[in-house]
Amino acid sequence: MKGVSQLEEVINDYVSRELVQDASLLPLGNATSLLETGIIDSLSLLRLVVFIQQRLGITVDDVDLVPEHFDTIDAICAYLRSREAGRAGQAVGHG
Amino acid sequence: MAYLLQRLLTDSAARAARRPAVAVGARFLTYAELDQLSNQVGRALLAQGVTPGDRVGILSPKSAAAVVAQYGVLKAGACYVPLDPKSPASRLATIMTDSGVTVVLADQATAGQAAALADSVPQLRAVIVSGPHWGRDAAPRPADGPAPQGPAIVPWEAVLAEPAGALGDGLTIDSDLAYILYTSGSTGTPKGVMISHRASLTFVEWAAACAGLTEEDRVCSPAPLHFDLSVFDVFAACKAGACMAVVPENTSIFPARLAQWLERAQISVWYSVPSVLTMLATHGNLPGFELSRLRAVIFAGEVFPAKHLNRLMTELPGPRYLNWYGPTETNVCTWYEVPPGSGELTAPVPIGKACANTDAFAVTSEGGRVAKPGEEGELYVRGSGLMRGYWGDQEKTRRMLVRNPFQAAYDEPAYRTGDLVTLDDAGNYVFLGRRDGMVKTRGYRVELGEVEAALYAHPAIREAVVLPVPDELLGSRLRAVICADVAAGLTREEVLDHCRRRLPSYMVPDVVEFLEALPRTSTDKVDRARLAEHGK
Repeated sequence: MKGVSQLEEVINDYVSRELVQDASLLPLGNATSLLETGIIDSLSLLRLVVFIQQRLGITVDDVDLVPEHFDTIDAICAYLRSREAGRAGQAVGHG
Repeated sequence: MAYLLQRLLTDSAARAARRPAVAVGARFLTYAELDQLSNQVGRALLAQGVTPGDRVGILSPKSAAAVVAQYGVLKAGACYVPLDPKSPASRLATIMTDSGVTVVLADQATAGQAAALADSVPQLRAVIVSGPHWGRDAAPRPADGPAPQGPAIVPWEAVLAEPAGALGDGLTIDSDLAYILYTSGSTGTPKGVMISHRASLTFVEWAAACAGLTEEDRVCSPAPLHFDLSVFDVFAACKAGACMAVVPENTSIFPARLAQWLERAQISVWYSVPSVLTMLATHGNLPGFELSRLRAVIFAGEVFPAKHLNRLMTELPGPRYLNWYGPTETNVCTWYEVPPGSGELTAPVPIGKACANTDAFAVTSEGGRVAKPGEEGELYVRGSGLMRGYWGDQEKTRRMLVRNPFQAAYDEPAYRTGDLVTLDDAGNYVFLGRRDGMVKTRGYRVELGEVEAALYAHPAIREAVVLPVPDELLGSRLRAVICADVAAGLTREEVLDHCRRRLPSYMVPDVVEFLEALPRTSTDKVDRARLAEHGK
């Protein structure tokens, strides 16, 4: 798993580059609400999920598509780390 | 009895005063409350000098207060113009100036946005700001009062001070305008579709009967007010005395959260564009929820890809599935009920047959009438559901509302939809495609010319072509191909930023490409076909 700043950077970079519609929101803080600012809508959410799958190899489960995991870049990264930790645990368990 | 939209509310309030009219979460406005509050709004508008036929803006997301505003404007004898709070200020100013809006109804969140628009809309006289708690309570008076040059800010307590008793019908008759909905215009300016009380009621009465709405129903559409799908949940639910449920903000973004909300809110009739349903089918975890209350799923606005409709009907086999078709200019004009048990559709479902008090016919390129399968033509619609025309644009109105070519005896208007159709063996119309440069994305109409006009407004852009890229979820994505002055060093981000300041987000291109020159046909037109091929 990527280090703390690195993962945030990857997600922030993608969201800033691809999903932010209003340039006045840049630079984007990792604690900024993506919902209140309208950055995350139904379309951009799915684009982000595809990006996460392709870039990080993490498949977001449908039940995990909730505002708690996607409201801020910090929340997204926390969720991705929990997924990664779960997967690592599983791998150990099967090993 | 007067044939006016607000009569739906006064009738239901008389019949079902204590039943919920508009619900948000566990809270609701009853029919009596909705009726009385909208009487007060109507009087507050008259006090601001609004006269019959005036246009009043509503700058609000869908909410209980917004429904109060809609009925309040109608009760004042005026015509409402929904203004999307998510649209750029320049587009809102264009719409307000074009329609001559002098008073805007806003909520606590949009009041500042409305007042700021006065800079570019000098005729704006007043902004009425609804209070918290859906307008039941007075809002605190603004501390500093309005700026000396700006519009008057009317606090909600002034509205609540008005008498709550019924307003008469005044001078309004059924052919007067009820609302104007702005849609994408090919020349770069949005055009205002004028809908009369009669035209709206033609749809509303048919729709309530087609969906079989009763007082027991809980009806939901996530469509915002400026999208004509919202006419169904606001007015057809009201006709039936049913409850209109508002999806909480941000819930429809998250498919499983939306499914959970459908369960908790006990929604029985749903109406949306197909892409929302596709998201529910593919990411909503539908079998995990108890959705047995849901008895009708209605979709409109774009083609529902067969494979996603199959999946939805397989995961959620209980409800009726209805495909409604019709541009804003005609209201819903044809409909088709998907036969139960269809889970193996191989092609999009037909748009079906004409609704009550509506005739739909297709005209071949030779001018004949499409009469059997295999023949193709452009769909025309006649009937009392048609728009009055485009606000302030008689020339465009004449081009779209033509004389019915099959009525020799007298002059009868028919609307040219621009949609090409054929017939199936059962006599249903089947949508084939468009005649012109209009595409659908997320159910919204986008005139490619309007996006191109926005691009051309950039000083460094010499040529611009916008092409639709078919997309299963969205209908279409937009691809802009641009020739720009090399010296300007124009970047993709600059182009997008330029568009975002002029266009609503669904019209901003998804893909931007730069070319040194655009390919040309032998007649020196831009070769769109080659560009489209190149983009695959």
